Amino acid sequence: MSFLLDSIQSALLLIWTLDRELMEVISVSLKVSSSSTFIAMIVGIPLGLCISMNEFNGKRVLITCLNTLLAMPTVVVGLLVYSFISRKGLFGPLDLLYTQKAMIIGQFILIVPIITTYTISAISRIDDRYRKTALTLGADSIQTAWVIVREARFGIVSAIIISYGRVIAEVGISMMLGGNAKGFTRTMTTAMALEYDKGEFVLSIALGIVLLSISFAINILFNYFQGKSRI
Amino acid sequence: MLYEVKRLIKRFDDKVILDLIDLSIDSNKILCLLGPNGSGKTTLMEILAFISLPTDGEIWFKQNRVSFGKTDLVSIRQKVVIVQQEPILFTTSVFKNVEYPLKIRKINKNRRENIVNELLGLVGMSDFKEAEAHKLSGGETRRIAIAQALACSPEVILLDEPTSSVDIENQYIIERIIKDINRDKEISVIFTTHDMVQASRIADEIVFLYDGRVTDSIHENIFGGIIKSEEENKYCLLPQGIRLNIKTDKSGPARISINPSGTYFHRKEDDLYSNGNLFKGRLVQLTDQGKRIRALIDIGLPISVLMEYDKFNEIGPRVGDRVYLEIPEDSIEVI
Repeated sequence: MSFLLDSIQSALLLIWTLDRELMEVISVSLKVSSSSTFIAMIVGIPLGLCISMNEFNGKRVLITCLNTLLAMPTVVVGLLVYSFISRKGLFGPLDLLYTQKAMIIGQFILIVPIITTYTISAISRIDDRYRKTALTLGADSIQTAWVIVREARFGIVSAIIISYGRVIAEVGISMMLGGNAKGFTRTMTTAMALEYDKGEFVLSIALGIVLLSISFAINILFNYFQGKSRI
Repeated sequence: MLYEVKRLIKRFDDKVILDLIDLSIDSNKILCLLGPNGSGKTTLMEILAFISLPTDGEIWFKQNRVSFGKTDLVSIRQKVVIVQQEPILFTTSVFKNVEYPLKIRKINKNRRENIVNELLGLVGMSDFKEAEAHKLSGGETRRIAIAQALACSPEVILLDEPTSSVDIENQYIIERIIKDINRDKEISVIFTTHDMVQASRIADEIVFLYDGRVTDSIHENIFGGIIKSEEENKYCLLPQGIRLNIKTDKSGPARISINPSGTYFHRKEDDLYSNGNLFKGRLVQLTDQGKRIRALIDIGLPISVLMEYDKFNEIGPRVGDRVYLEIPEDSIEVI
């Protein structure tokens, strides 16, 4: 018990003193996760909007496929992207393997289905009268789409928050595509796994505290927007 | 001519909702589309507002045929605006809702503010400028929706059942606004209602719609029931337990219409003329309709009766009086 307490004490000290290694790991994590979430947001929201606002053959099949992808394990994504960017892969010459870009690509693939399906779900709950009102007030198709996104904003923001929580806590993609290189691709989760392997718990616990704090903040935000959406 | 509609068909799945052979609507008038629920009023209004496409047929707007191509529709929608039966406002302030159409028309900020203030004054909602739009009552929402529509500076404003589920105070305010915008702003107004009294009170012209078609007159006092036989006679049993003897060859579920001009009431049973369907009821409303008086009599169902002034003065009824209502079999039509 005293071992755990000592480790927590040392971990808190690391956080308090803004330990360089700790900050480096946090910074890589935040950078990679924020980038992948931002790109997934740019792709996923318009994609969700297009799917929900248009009727076409195969729409149900597409939504079912997207829903299936929600449960995709991170190691499967890691393996899939690895097969494309490894030396022998299609994009091997681009030298993406074991870079932050590779991690961003993997995380992007992981969360695009989340943002897209949650956007579809948020927009399908929006009253069709908003679309008709925007049209009759003289809005063109882009302005009408923007009105709908604005009305569905709380649901869409929730999707972004959930996605961010998913990528910041994932370990499979970061490990398989990033390689856990210190100072370059070492994220909070891969660093924790490594420190655990080494039997060094202090940095692991410090990172765990930071990760939990981020998750806590994300959940507060999520609850806030969920509450707003019920108005 | 504002609109010309030719051979217009609107289908949902395989069901024909609208089937209009020819309909012309003049500019700068208040036109009422009058018809019962399900007669196709809302569908026609949405097509006239160019937010819903017809299945077949032609629409001409100001002598130009509407092609329903996306680019054309955006420019034509800037001239026509519809206030829906249950209008919905964007989840922001009242001010921003009314400002929205001005913003997309790229009108500068100062002018936007002046126009919004003027329009909120016109609909009597100046005090609600900063209020959250989604917290307003039904009548207030409708007034803001009208202000929002007027901000578009339209040539035509379409109002779908503008006073349905609105209290009396808001109802009269909305009717006053309709008259004002037609007279002062010279905007053509087309509105729908199933209330004959309201139609004749506001409209310059009335178009009767029934079952998706234009008809010469409107059926009133429409009720659903079951036609049954008893020996040689037929009667219609209404869900409220009211039994009406009728002349028809039909039987089974049906909708009937009672002609208000062929229906009579009196304060004493003995004063009635024939031996039609006789009911006891209460006089609940009297309305002056120009040459005639419209009385609403509650016999478990509200029955509208039209009578001449002379007859009205002879009976001298007052609201709240207990009366006897006679519905002759000839006044009941199976529709």
